Amino acid sequence: MQQRKNHIFYLAMVTLAGWLIPGGGFFLIKETRRAIIIFVTIAVIFIIGLYVGSTGVIDPVNAKLWFAIQTLTTPLVLYIGFISSNYHEVYARPQEIGQIYTSIAGMLNLLCIINAIHKAYDKATADKVK
Amino acid sequence: MTEIIQILATFTSPENIGTTPQSVFWLLPLAVAGCVVYKAMKLPEIRLGIFLREVFALLAFLIGLLFIIVLALFAVTAIST
Repeated sequence: MQQRKNHIFYLAMVTLAGWLIPGGGFFLIKETRRAIIIFVTIAVIFIIGLYVGSTGVIDPVNAKLWFAIQTLTTPLVLYIGFISSNYHEVYARPQEIGQIYTSIAGMLNLLCIINAIHKAYDKATADKVK
Repeated sequence: MTEIIQILATFTSPENIGTTPQSVFWLLPLAVAGCVVYKAMKLPEIRLGIFLREVFALLAFLIGLLFIIVLALFAVTAIST
């Protein structure tokens, strides 16, 4: 029973680490190279999105669904959303591109979190068999 | 310190991107990012040479496929008008 609890705790930690820092889940399961590649890629497209469309593309008031997807990248988005919501709005192509970039960063991070959990589960069960 | 503030300030105003056909090329970095992340997850072991080769192959396949679709759609449009 205790082992089962530890197992769930471990998977929860991998999930949380993956959300806090993109690639953090892989870092926790000692897949450092994967973690670095994922961190750099997701961070770069997220920053490009913010640069092109400005922080106004993170809009928790007028674009709730986009914002929900963007928060999958990192909890830092919640803070950016808080400061940008009463600051300014962006329109036209820059908004479109910025929103697509930041949202795809979020969706890619969700994929990475799921993959990290899967790999962590495989490792934990393999260790148990040994 | 001033330089850092100036860099941060660029994130408060959007870039000027027109609705031109060239603006579609903004999707290329996204395709690269998708390929990199996908291969980083799928490869059993990450080795630089193999990783880069796999990413390049997937990217070439993706862009090639899109190019064929564009050509096909262009041909259909040209024939029908």
